[in-house]
Amino acid sequence: MSATLLLARRNLGRNRVRLLASVGGVALALTLTLALDAIYAGVANQLTTYIDRAGADVWVSQAGVRNLHMVASWLPGSVTDAVRAVPGVAGVTPILYSTDTIAARDERAVAYVIGLPADAAIGGPWSVVKGADRVGRGEIIIDRGFARRAGVSIGDSVIVLGAEARIVGLSDGTASLLNSVAFVSFDDFRAMRGGAPVVSYVLVKVAPGASPEAVAAAIERQVPSVTAQSKTDFSAQERRLVMDMSADVISIMNVIGFVVGLAVVAITVYVATLARRREYGVLKALGARNSALYRVVLGQAVLSVALGFVVALAFTGLLVLVLPLAGVGLELSISAASLAKVGLFALVIAGLAAILPVRQVSSLDPAVVFRRGVAI
Amino acid sequence: MTAFTLDVRGVTKRFGDGAAGVEAVRGVSLAVEPGEIVLIMGPSGSGKTTLLSMMGALLRPTTGSIHLDGIEISALSESRLPEIRLRRFGFIFQDFNLLSALTVLENVAIVAELGGVGRRPARAKATALLSDLGLGERLDFLPEKLSGGEKQRVATARALVNDPTLILADEPTANLDSKIGHEIMNLLRRIAKDQGRSVVIVSHDQRIRDVADRVLWLADGRFTDVDAMATDPVCRMSVERDRAVRTERDGETFYFCSRGCREEFLGRLVPSTG
Amino acid sequence: MLLARRNLFRDRTRFLLTVAGVAVSIGLILLLAGYRSGVYRQASAYLDNTPGEVVVAERGIRDFLGTSSALPAGAEEAVRQTPGVERVIPVISQFVIFERHGRKDGFFLVGYDPARGGGPWKLAAGREPAADHELVIDRTAADQHGIAIGDAISVLDRTMTVVGLSDDTTFWAGSIAFARISTLESLLRAPGLRSFLLVTPAAGVTPMALRDRLAHPATEVLLKSEVVANDRKLLARVYDAPIGLMVAIAFLVGVLVVGLVIYTATIERRREYGAIKAIGARNRALYRVVTIQAFIAAAIGAIAGVGLAYGGGAAMMAWRPQFRVDIEPAAIGVVLAASLLMALVAALIPARLVAHLEPAEVFRG
Ligand SMILES: Nc1ncnc2c1ncn2[C@@H]1O[C@H](COP(=O)(O)OP(=O)(O)O)[C@@H](O)[C@H]1O
Ligand SMILES: [Mg+2]
Repeated sequence: MSATLLLARRNLGRNRVRLLASVGGVALALTLTLALDAIYAGVANQLTTYIDRAGADVWVSQAGVRNLHMVASWLPGSVTDAVRAVPGVAGVTPILYSTDTIAARDERAVAYVIGLPADAAIGGPWSVVKGADRVGRGEIIIDRGFARRAGVSIGDSVIVLGAEARIVGLSDGTASLLNSVAFVSFDDFRAMRGGAPVVSYVLVKVAPGASPEAVAAAIERQVPSVTAQSKTDFSAQERRLVMDMSADVISIMNVIGFVVGLAVVAITVYVATLARRREYGVLKALGARNSALYRVVLGQAVLSVALGFVVALAFTGLLVLVLPLAGVGLELSISAASLAKVGLFALVIAGLAAILPVRQVSSLDPAVVFRRGVAI
Repeated sequence: MTAFTLDVRGVTKRFGDGAAGVEAVRGVSLAVEPGEIVLIMGPSGSGKTTLLSMMGALLRPTTGSIHLDGIEISALSESRLPEIRLRRFGFIFQDFNLLSALTVLENVAIVAELGGVGRRPARAKATALLSDLGLGERLDFLPEKLSGGEKQRVATARALVNDPTLILADEPTANLDSKIGHEIMNLLRRIAKDQGRSVVIVSHDQRIRDVADRVLWLADGRFTDVDAMATDPVCRMSVERDRAVRTERDGETFYFCSRGCREEFLGRLVPSTG
Repeated sequence: MLLARRNLFRDRTRFLLTVAGVAVSIGLILLLAGYRSGVYRQASAYLDNTPGEVVVAERGIRDFLGTSSALPAGAEEAVRQTPGVERVIPVISQFVIFERHGRKDGFFLVGYDPARGGGPWKLAAGREPAADHELVIDRTAADQHGIAIGDAISVLDRTMTVVGLSDDTTFWAGSIAFARISTLESLLRAPGLRSFLLVTPAAGVTPMALRDRLAHPATEVLLKSEVVANDRKLLARVYDAPIGLMVAIAFLVGVLVVGLVIYTATIERRREYGAIKAIGARNRALYRVVTIQAFIAAAIGAIAGVGLAYGGGAAMMAWRPQFRVDIEPAAIGVVLAASLLMALVAALIPARLVAHLEPAEVFRG
């Protein structure tokens, strides 16, 4: 370690209050950015749960529809047979889908409501913890978290799609921060929609050895007015939805986190320099160049930011571990890109924070060393 | 050019302009030989610190020149001065001016490192110096834990670590009791004589006169003849005969810094009137 | 207190720094609060600007934004026949994702009947949709995607032409777009579909009375204000936690900055404070000095912060017009109070130092 870095480290370490303030401030600011990224990445993960777990290799939707969340996709019922006829398709399951409110007692929550045919091979709940995993007319399978919050269980009824349905099963892993997934009978759903012969998505299982991408392309070629995507593509589109729609909010929060971090580090580094003005004067009198003193100041900024970064990382990591246990339906996920971004933030903050005291240091008169007293 | 370590020629320092200006140092000349110890004395405000700052290249003279080892340091550009300060001067201050965040060892080693010595040799050299000055047990202490005498010895080690040709000390004993002050002065003398370094000390402390090879009197920014000076018998301050408060006693003239000292002097002579 | 003022003002840079710290903190808090109320106001833009006091929705649905409502067939006719109903505006609403230049954007697509109302309330350019392939979109969204009147854009499996641009229709998760109700019926393959009915009571009938009169087990009938409140609750679930977190962080930063600067100023003058103590001043007097310093800094910083918030809000709306920042006078009051609290908490930081100061400090070298 160089002499300047040693002094920087010592200057920081010997003043606990200031160290705590600057490291804490940076940590707060970086946590803000890191946690926010992690929240959105986590939401994106959660949002694709149904797509990932439904069991389809290819999703067929109304032309132009590349997402699931909150959107509408309505295809003529005849599309199911048309898709079945495409080479490479091993099986098809049509589903109806709408974002709806389910209400039980005083509890109300947004849910993806899936209308599931009685003979559905795929598309149904993947982990039923209690009751049936199939739904008949007038029946529903709901997320067990919602059931617990509402205080209802198997045999109770809920309001869904404007009608009542009796709970026959409770499923697990079907809830996210934004919504849960509920399964009702295909026929009930269609009746609620006035009985029109439509489907929302056609879920496709491809033949062994067939590539989902190739089958999706073949479906788009042979069936008019549909969009077909492999599960992987569909899932990626859904992630992008979260990222694109939250991009502006994230930018603003990032700017705020950056400003806060910069303000804290700049002020603590500046104040720290101010407090040791006399000592910097001594070093100057002893022959230290301005550049060496800048390095001390910069070293302090970099060290406090680096410490703050580590604390922020540890704290966010802790949130990642602890939040799923808290049962708020929120999960966090730290991405490498977000780490890199926040790391870059930290670097820029340290660099900018060290600029403020530059004039302080360079205009320092080494002759102060002979002047007595504290107030210089 | 000369065999002098330091050569100060006709140096004047003026602070401010016009009527509000102060001439702190007026046309001072002084040459210091290698290994010589020069003590500059004078009352407070006489310009001692200003002169020392100019000798240490911390302040530029208004007129005149200062040469160190044949280099005219008063004419060097600001960017060349750090190098000179680092390698040719060692400073010792009244307030010690140690870096509060660093340990004793680090305080000394950092100056060696600034001078381009590697970390290990810098520490080794600092350890040797400090041990030599009797601080071998204190290496990892923070300055706040040291006594005044110890602090000044650390400062002395720091001043020596880059093998300077000239050591400049401003009131080095002012914050020390007289025994410790004497120790420090003897230490400086030993260093000057053993290692051939020149020392300029600025002080108004009478007690350290005997350590110096030469004593100069500064009054109102000018060197004054030692003969023109007298010592206040009460407070032991040096005072100019011409300006001092005086009193005659038994055919001898006594000079005082103030009426207060004279009153006390006179009072002492009156036998206590019970 | 003269001493407090002198200590504070003597070092200009430091004083400016303190003020800047408080200003950033206060500005941030105000800006965030303004952003939050802006989001809420935008969320109710459609209902606020469309006639009708009572909303009829699918049974179980009590908000306008969160879900896709589908009324039972015949509901519209039944409501229209109800005595005391002056006007019924039927709408279909559907969230649609629109993609252009590889970026996804949300459209809250509203299908309405131009003859009955419920369309754009502030057309900035062009006209309302007259045919099924025509569309009015938000002007800000159009600017951002580089869309002009006459351009064709694809919506689900249709290609539609933009015929009008509306103002005041930007929205927290995208913007509002308008098409004819028949367009939505065919787009969603649901002839006769109605999502909501916005009902205006006849003269002499209160909205409350009308709501009770319209109550029907197959539908949800709510006052418009109730629906707006529910939409806000929906937003609050998503927005309030992060905004609250950031307000807390901003507050802490303000405390930190004021406290730290005054702490350092106190350290540097510990000798003087020690001297005051030696003369006989009690700790109380010294607390007063640091507290007054904190208050002066906080007060000036708070005023600068209010300015900063207005400036920052204007800058944000210029950068992304879909963000609306509504700084409410009430929020300013709260924030000014917060800054005083900030000063009090900040003064605690150097207070301990002052209390432990030894009068003997003066005699130390
Ligand atoms: N930077 C300065 N600006 C203006 N006047 C100064 C400055 N430094 C010293 N002086 C003045 O110069 C005179 C000599 O001061 P100084 O050299 O500190 O004396 P000493 O060290 O002998 O007490 C004093 O009158 C002092 O006020
Ligand atoms: Mg002096």
